[in-house]
Amino acid sequence: MAQVVLENIDKIYPNGFHAVKNASFTIEDKEFCVLLGPSGCGKTTTLRMIAGLEEISKGTLKIDGKVVNDVEPKDRDIAFVFQNYALYPHMTVYDNMAFGLKLRKFPKEEIDQRVKNAAKILDIAHLLDRKPKQLSGGQRQRVAVGRAIVRDPKVFLFDEPLSNLDAKLRVQMRSELKKLHHRLDATIVYVTHDQVEAMTMADKIVIMKDGVIQQIGSPYDVYFKPKNKFVAGFIGTPPMNFLEAKVVKGDGGLWISAEDLKVKIPKEFEEKLESYIDKDIIFGIRPENIHDKSIYKGEHTNDVVKGKVDVAEPLGSETLLHVTLGGQYLVAKVDPTTTAREGTEVELILEMETMHVFDKETELAVI
Amino acid sequence: MSVQKNKSRMGFIIILPSLILIGIFVYYFIFWTIRTSFSNWNSFSSLLRGVYKYVGFRNYERIFMDPRFQTDLWNTLFFTLFFILGSVGLGLFLANLIDKGIKGSRFFQNLFLFPMAISFVVTGTVWSWIFAPGNFPNDPQGLNLLFKKLGLEKLQWMWYTSSESIGHFNLALIAVIIAAVWQMSGYIMAMYLAGLKAIPEEILEAARVDGANERYIFWKIKMPLLKPITLSAMIVLGHVSLKIFDLIYAMTGSGPNNVTDVPAIYMFELTFRSNKYAMGSAISVIMLLMVAVIIIPYLYSSLRRGVSS
Repeated sequence: MAQVVLENIDKIYPNGFHAVKNASFTIEDKEFCVLLGPSGCGKTTTLRMIAGLEEISKGTLKIDGKVVNDVEPKDRDIAFVFQNYALYPHMTVYDNMAFGLKLRKFPKEEIDQRVKNAAKILDIAHLLDRKPKQLSGGQRQRVAVGRAIVRDPKVFLFDEPLSNLDAKLRVQMRSELKKLHHRLDATIVYVTHDQVEAMTMADKIVIMKDGVIQQIGSPYDVYFKPKNKFVAGFIGTPPMNFLEAKVVKGDGGLWISAEDLKVKIPKEFEEKLESYIDKDIIFGIRPENIHDKSIYKGEHTNDVVKGKVDVAEPLGSETLLHVTLGGQYLVAKVDPTTTAREGTEVELILEMETMHVFDKETELAVI
Repeated sequence: MSVQKNKSRMGFIIILPSLILIGIFVYYFIFWTIRTSFSNWNSFSSLLRGVYKYVGFRNYERIFMDPRFQTDLWNTLFFTLFFILGSVGLGLFLANLIDKGIKGSRFFQNLFLFPMAISFVVTGTVWSWIFAPGNFPNDPQGLNLLFKKLGLEKLQWMWYTSSESIGHFNLALIAVIIAAVWQMSGYIMAMYLAGLKAIPEEILEAARVDGANERYIFWKIKMPLLKPITLSAMIVLGHVSLKIFDLIYAMTGSGPNNVTDVPAIYMFELTFRSNKYAMGSAISVIMLLMVAVIIIPYLYSSLRRGVSS
């Protein structure tokens, strides 16, 4: 049982920089929790505070129900995997992995057994005699993970561990880390700025911006029910389209209205938007929920917009259309059989059931 | 292909002047010194006659039989040993203090490095004043005077004029070693400081998370990673100490009974005071070989490292 609880945690650096503001969340036992956000959002600082590498300015940190604010990193029973691996360059892979165990005075046989076992899991058993500089990036990564595994800590902390790997290896290590999580039944806190890593690996995602937690939820939650415009725009590639528009009352109900844009709001959202009638709002819709009308087979009504294609980017499995719509701008991820090309007019269907509306002032999600 | 050729020809032309100058003033003169060391040019008149007579290793035999030169070798050994230990130890200690980021560390860094900018002759002169014993206990000078004022007469000593020794270690060398360490330890500190700054913070943090305390980190992480610096420092100090002349010449000269004499001083006196050119050359060649013994393996290993990376 290793639960990590952050209660109203603040980090203020001596120079006055307020890196983390009032962060509160709980990482449950055996949970894979990802701290996600753009660079400088305070996610790494939060992780380092959990590790004890950074002092907590305000608030309480509990591991396993015990307050550890003033406990040394080495006594917190955590393992930290660094972005640049931080292997000891003068030691062999074996010694790198055994270092922590030797310091904790484990018997030799047990050290040997643990190191070899971890090496087997990570497929680095043949590298144990090498020095870090003789290894590839991916291999170093595995050693860094191995150094954490052998300790069998309460909590694993990962600081952007995949960001120094090339794209292909990153995808591979991603699924391996996920497998490892299941195999070890470990509690993991994982920092990344890559939303794909977060979506694919996390049980729980904590999204941060400017030191403030924006949303805590499952990958499903943050994708389908973003709490504000930032989260909506941060999760998903290409990002969600945001159009400035008004909610207006028209025939048969409420409509989203802007220049070259008039689409009907589904009945189920009307109640929530009552108070926004005739007011400016931000209308959000994901590129994957926009379709080319000429090749769309499903049924639809009152949800077509017409715009001019600026750029068409064929990606193979789909085509991205960058469309201008009355001075605003929209990206649609459409079927690759589309005939739309640069400079042509295109009619697009917006899947209105998936729409989002954000308050223009607070940027909080209304729908 | 021809672009490549032109490039390498251009490169050759550019280094040619320094190649010629080094060829004449370094390698030709080394050759000339070696040639002289095998000659009978051991008086001014024999030199004037200008007739080269090969005498084999006779000059070397005479040098190695000479008790003064034997003393010089012992002095060099002990001077080198304690000079390196002192400079490396003090340099490492200061570098760690400054790396910890104590208040005003930038100021201290420059302060410690400053003696490096002073000529050995100046250092020697200043420390000769400090260590001048005077007529103690009643009429002392320098440090001995300070000891008297502090009521520490027990610490008054003959310093570089002392004729005491432990085995072959002439204690008069202590004063010279202190002066030399004072001059060079700041430089060694700068080398170690650069090395310490180059160790990624993450490695130290990883060790902390792994359970290491600061002392363990110092001995098991930092020191092994500083090994190339320690080696370089020892090479730099080693070749300074084997060739040391100006500091000692300005400070004490040979001292009474050659207690602070070193090969370079003997070489200088034989060559330019006694006109025994051949014997002076022989000492020069011996010194060259001693320095080569430590420099060549270092150059070899660092060149090889350069090629492999």
